Amino acid sequence: MRLLATQSHVVHGYVGNKAATFPLQCLGWDVDCCNSVQFSNHTGYGLDKVRGNATTESQLDNTLQGVIQNFPHDYDALLSGYLPHAESIRLMGCHYAEYKRQNPHALWLLDPVMGDEGELYVSESVVPEYKRLIFGPDVGIDIITPNQFELELLHGSPVTTLSELNDVLHGMHRFIPIIVVSSLDTRLFNDPNNIFIAASQAGKPPVILRVPLIDSYFTGIGDIFSALLIDRIYKQRDELNLVSCVNDTLNVVQDVLKVTRDHSPRGVTMGSTLMKESELKIIECRDLYEGPGEEQGLQFKYKVLY
Amino acid sequence: MVFNRDAMTRISTRKVLSIQSHVVHGYVGNKAATFPLQYQGWDVDALNTVQFSNHPGYGHFTGFRYDAGHLCEILEQGLAKSLEIQYDAVLMGYLPGVESLRKIGEAVGEMSARDPDLKWVLDPVLGDNGKLYVSGENVDAYKQILRHNKIHLVTPNQFEMETLTGVKIQDLESLKSSIEQFQKLYPRVNKIVVTSLELKNGYICACCDGGKIQYASVPRINAHFSGTGDLFSALLLNALVPPAGQTPPTLAQALLLVISLVDLILRRTLELSLSKDDVLPVTINDLKLIQCRDLLVGKHQNKELDAQIRLVDLN
Repeated sequence: MRLLATQSHVVHGYVGNKAATFPLQCLGWDVDCCNSVQFSNHTGYGLDKVRGNATTESQLDNTLQGVIQNFPHDYDALLSGYLPHAESIRLMGCHYAEYKRQNPHALWLLDPVMGDEGELYVSESVVPEYKRLIFGPDVGIDIITPNQFELELLHGSPVTTLSELNDVLHGMHRFIPIIVVSSLDTRLFNDPNNIFIAASQAGKPPVILRVPLIDSYFTGIGDIFSALLIDRIYKQRDELNLVSCVNDTLNVVQDVLKVTRDHSPRGVTMGSTLMKESELKIIECRDLYEGPGEEQGLQFKYKVLY
Repeated sequence: MVFNRDAMTRISTRKVLSIQSHVVHGYVGNKAATFPLQYQGWDVDALNTVQFSNHPGYGHFTGFRYDAGHLCEILEQGLAKSLEIQYDAVLMGYLPGVESLRKIGEAVGEMSARDPDLKWVLDPVLGDNGKLYVSGENVDAYKQILRHNKIHLVTPNQFEMETLTGVKIQDLESLKSSIEQFQKLYPRVNKIVVTSLELKNGYICACCDGGKIQYASVPRINAHFSGTGDLFSALLLNALVPPAGQTPPTLAQALLLVISLVDLILRRTLELSLSKDDVLPVTINDLKLIQCRDLLVGKHQNKELDAQIRLVDLN
């Protein structure tokens, strides 16, 4: 199993490719990382503490072009996460779509990383670029994993009720077969103590999953989530049970968060000097990535949207 | 700490800054070093000196180098000054430009001067099989680094050892002279492992610690593997710098462990890479590191090799 992943690289800590690669390798994947940036650390340390540069558009284009040209059929899966500019998203999209045309059986997961909780952390020009990829003809994306804010950006307006959510997902399935909304707005459920996730497969009613909130400052969760999810979906691709894939992924993510919380100082906030002690314990969790599998059942399954 | 679902065994995580090349596809440089170290319980901060599509052994590759300014800004302003990360070790491999090499050499030298416990492992990547693949200026820059810094371990191959000492190595006698010359020229280097030597009397690996020079005959696999040197240095680092609370082995013990493990990894790589029409010797472009996870955590012994391999004193 070989996967091509295009997202950020931080020298220190675990977000982007650093959060995705090791868990996937532990699960047996050869992970080929194309880095969209090389930064010293993630932005949670404070914006003034991030050193390094984004990979320029021509560098990214040139690197991906060499990869696809030299290994035209090597990849079983394609993953993309944070890309800094509209142009780098467009280039990744072109190369991945070309690969997908030549290899229709490869699985492509796109995480449209744009922001969270009402705050955009990329330039506004990124939004239409993701829309072009996701709603474009013959692009070949199989899975997207937006959070609620990103889903709303893609949809173009807020999603305030579960029935609206159902309609939005239904509409998007005309373009994308699998949509997993990694964190829904808790106001939809009037419950701040849990996190709600939507797992939606074209032609089936969306399912809401619920996991207890682990209250601490974590960065990189979305990246490990999408990495574990593509592993689960790939391994079940012939007979997919999406809810079981998401449930299993959530189990592992919860375990990683618990280990991280139990070994991090309390009271860490954005820009805190304690941040370097609060990185996800990706290495320490080496033996947890396989997950509990079937034995746990679907303990996070909460509600089906009809 | 590594958490094991069954045993809940806990081992403290070690921290290394690894400064080497990055390839998207395949396993050389940081891609060869990072996963084995992570799987053995290291937090690996990988500072990539280049990003190439694949290693040059494929014939065609694309990508780019990071310039000295970018690398130094991350290392000095970011990791050292702003984050104040305490590393157990720095692993330094391929650095393409002479400016990067000099500046990174200075920056790591300063880190090492500030922190007497920091173990600096330097693989002086200059060339192989009689051919330099960097400029003459790079050779001088490596010599400067080796002369002026407290380096825990240096891991040249035969050609690099010859280049750094000016002594041509043909037999055990000239190997001994070369190592003695190295100690004279670079007295601040603590330990030396010459990773692959082809002498009249066969293939050997040599090491020198505290003036004592030893060598071992190593099994020859009839194939060429890219990335072996990078894997070898990473595994030596792992063996030489154990988790907190454990006593480090002697260099000789560490070397035997690593020779034995690398032999297992190469044999499995060959087995998984060969198709039935292949005629030996073959060139293997990519180590099968992911498929060797069980070997990396010591689940299998190399009984045949371990029963035979001996270190012989050279002085």
